[in-house]
Amino acid sequence: MINKQEKTNLLSQGVFIFVCLAVLTLLEFLVAVTFNSLVVLVVVALVKAGLVLYYYMHMSKLNENPDAATDHESYAFKTGTNRAGLWLFLLSDAFVFGGLMAMRLNLLGLTRPDLNQNLGLFVTVVLLVSSFFMNRGETHLHNGNRAGFLKNTMITFILGLAFLLGVVMIEWHAIPSVAEAVLHLFGEPAGRTPLKPSSGVAGAAFFMMTGMHAFHVLTGLIFLAVIWVNGKRGLYDEKQYPVEAAAVYWHFIDVVWIFFYPALYLIGTAI
Amino acid sequence: MKHNPLRNAFVFLLAFGAVGYGAGLGIDRLVTGDFHFSGAVAAAFALLFSVAAFFFGLYGYRGVTRGLTFQVVGMFAGALFVTLIRALMGLKAFDAFLFSEPAWVFGGLVGAIAFLFGVGVVSDWMKWARGIDTPEHHEDEPGWRKFFGVSLDHKVIGIQYTVTALFLISVGGLFALIFRTELAESQLQFLTENLRLFDQSGPQLYNTLMSLHGMIMIVSILLGIAGIMNYAVPMLIGARDMAFPRLNAFAYWLSVPAIMLLLMSLVLGGFDTGWTGYPPLSARAPVGMQMFFLGVFVAGWSSILGGLNVIATTLRMRAKGMSPFRLPILVWSALAASIIQLTATQLIGLSFQLVMFQRLFDMGFFDPAKGGNPVLFQHLFWFYSHPVVYVFVLPGLGVISELLPVFARKPLFGYRWVALSSLGIATVGSIVWAHHMFASGMNEYLRVPFMYSTMLVAVPTGVKFFSWVATLWGGKIETPTPMLFVLGSIVVFLFGGVTGPPNAMVALNLHLHDTYWVVGHFHDTIFGGFVFPFFAALYYWFPKATGRRMNEFWGKVHFWLMTPSFLVLTFGMMFIGLRGMRRRIVDYDPAQGFDHAQLILTICAFLIAISILIFLINFFRSIKHGEVATGNVWKSRSPEWQVPSPMPAHNYDVPFEVVGEPYDYGLAGSKYIEFAADGAGKKH
Repeated sequence: MINKQEKTNLLSQGVFIFVCLAVLTLLEFLVAVTFNSLVVLVVVALVKAGLVLYYYMHMSKLNENPDAATDHESYAFKTGTNRAGLWLFLLSDAFVFGGLMAMRLNLLGLTRPDLNQNLGLFVTVVLLVSSFFMNRGETHLHNGNRAGFLKNTMITFILGLAFLLGVVMIEWHAIPSVAEAVLHLFGEPAGRTPLKPSSGVAGAAFFMMTGMHAFHVLTGLIFLAVIWVNGKRGLYDEKQYPVEAAAVYWHFIDVVWIFFYPALYLIGTAI
Repeated sequence: MKHNPLRNAFVFLLAFGAVGYGAGLGIDRLVTGDFHFSGAVAAAFALLFSVAAFFFGLYGYRGVTRGLTFQVVGMFAGALFVTLIRALMGLKAFDAFLFSEPAWVFGGLVGAIAFLFGVGVVSDWMKWARGIDTPEHHEDEPGWRKFFGVSLDHKVIGIQYTVTALFLISVGGLFALIFRTELAESQLQFLTENLRLFDQSGPQLYNTLMSLHGMIMIVSILLGIAGIMNYAVPMLIGARDMAFPRLNAFAYWLSVPAIMLLLMSLVLGGFDTGWTGYPPLSARAPVGMQMFFLGVFVAGWSSILGGLNVIATTLRMRAKGMSPFRLPILVWSALAASIIQLTATQLIGLSFQLVMFQRLFDMGFFDPAKGGNPVLFQHLFWFYSHPVVYVFVLPGLGVISELLPVFARKPLFGYRWVALSSLGIATVGSIVWAHHMFASGMNEYLRVPFMYSTMLVAVPTGVKFFSWVATLWGGKIETPTPMLFVLGSIVVFLFGGVTGPPNAMVALNLHLHDTYWVVGHFHDTIFGGFVFPFFAALYYWFPKATGRRMNEFWGKVHFWLMTPSFLVLTFGMMFIGLRGMRRRIVDYDPAQGFDHAQLILTICAFLIAISILIFLINFFRSIKHGEVATGNVWKSRSPEWQVPSPMPAHNYDVPFEVVGEPYDYGLAGSKYIEFAADGAGKKH
């Protein structure tokens, strides 16, 4: 059984990592709008990704070898196998996003699509905050606090939905009148023509990258809904791996955005 | 049922094929106002109806039949949905092939997903999502029927993969025979301009068949290696099953809708890009191109998930004492191949997706007019499509190394080097892709690095050859059929290997690039690295799967007919290639004087086809009528041969422990495994 001190430590660790990530995101934004150094942006993105991979996705659990592991039918052993499988899948998926990044660098080089910077920062922060609540929810479940788990997962879900709508409805102009009204709130200058898939390689790259990412957000939301509904029924009080898996997947989506955000909104000059 | 199921199946095939043909013809008439008797729509309906009906006759409305029915319904529902939306938006609702291109693509995708629900391979996951637990292992029904429904047993799935691969090899081979016959003589004989089939002229049909021969064979090879890996890996490492049995079944069943989509590409106007699908040509080819892309995409997921499972199984499920350097050598090579499958496959999926989106949404990835870059496609495409040849050959090379010591009755020479050379090939092979693009107009500074990295592949491959030769040296060599195929693969792969480095050299490559030389080289590597070892593995593990062995005489006939014909075929290809025969074209100038050579190549192709036919008859006949062989037929030290054949459902009743080296044949007192003392640690 975990003692109270450890429980509090785990929660405050989550807060500390979140503060680091938030500061780094702000730094990124400020670097981009002032002296725009590619090197700094890349380094910041790598540090952010490293923090999420280590603290939120707890990559080190891959090395865990519980004593029960000799019995191949035990839950502990199967959890270890499932972890290996999930990480292999994420490795494979990373190649899709890596390919998209290569595509973007090849086609656009050190230019970027002309997008609303404020909105970009806002959706990025929304996704980052959702990752914080995801970690908090998982930690609560680990600490045996089902109500806390459900509350935080719900907040994660809502924030994730907000991110998805922000990208699809507003950045994509799915409903033009809404998009224009919201963009106006974010200080959009009048008369800038919205990006379309068919408007040159910038539009193609932007829609492809955000589209592939949004598809992953959508699947992540489905997993969150599943663990919330089943968690409410107390299914994960003992066997918690499904929650861990959904959380790791959700943070992976955040890691992808940690690279896509600078690639689409920050590096180079707008065209 | 009184009737023979196979007879039922063919009756249903013909009857529903005719119904589908009539329905397609009628609907086409309603939309276009004209009858197209050899048109795409009638053929597409006939294809979909007849395949689903065939399995209905064979197996009834469950398993694969239910999946195919869901796929057909899903495809039309999806297509109609898009058509309706297009009609509401005021866009053109119908097109040359009944539905518009977006409608076919969306329908194809919905159909593939519907198949998975229909066949029942996702039902456990759906239950989990609703919080219902399901048992890990079901008992399969006895007899052949279990192969047509979802089974979680890795041995059943391995056989499903293998038989599907054999079917696809036959289809791809049939396509090759058709265009090989046309090539036997210069000028156009039957694939003429006047021919109209599936809305394609003869030469267009040649292009489609030639392109599909490539991709169907590639998918068949992916399924074939998946068959070997699925069947053998858990048995070799002493596991009850794969790490993820449901994912394993899911990966297999993905390949079935993928095959349907690939066949749909033939009838929906075909495509003329070759299997590589380069834009800009692929950005404007008929709808068949999209079905091709979609089919490869789905098959790619099958390959990715299969690879994931093999890696996880090898990492997690090994028997006690099976340290990395006591793993059977086949598992090492399967691991190396799976790493490539897991990672690189995403890039061909991505490159094909980008072209699909370029066509559907007018996105400018590869359109220079919009600032796009066609060479980018080639980089993304070859990032997978070069390493994938190592996916094809690595398991085969593993089979060679696995079987050689058994029949040479000697330890495998340089075990550690051979084990690591597989990983070496996979690593070096991942950084050589641009050698396919020396003539593409890519940046010139890339040429020399890629030339050297390509030649570096010869080093780990050479390690394997040295090991094989040294293993044979001084051995007490026996030559039953599996060993013949092992020896054959070494010879053929050697020819494939030594014709490789010349292609890698930029100066030579620019001249060899588009010739039959490359075709000959490629077929040598793939036959040596996959086809021969695949047959060796089938002859070798057939008794393990069935408890009977295949007929030895006909096995030898198969070998002695196929090997010389194949060598003449590829030498002939290289010979005319060096003299200027271009690849991928339907016709050639009689003045080039290739007529005699081409005729010989065609005859050889037919001889190979006959040998494969002999194999297939032997294979299916031996299941029932083969000589009974339940013991250790090949006097192997491998764990799976220490228990009676056929293998029971959960493999080993008593777990074993690894106590020695795997390949110490002929060393007195050596021992590889030891079964646990009676009852101790018995698995439940």
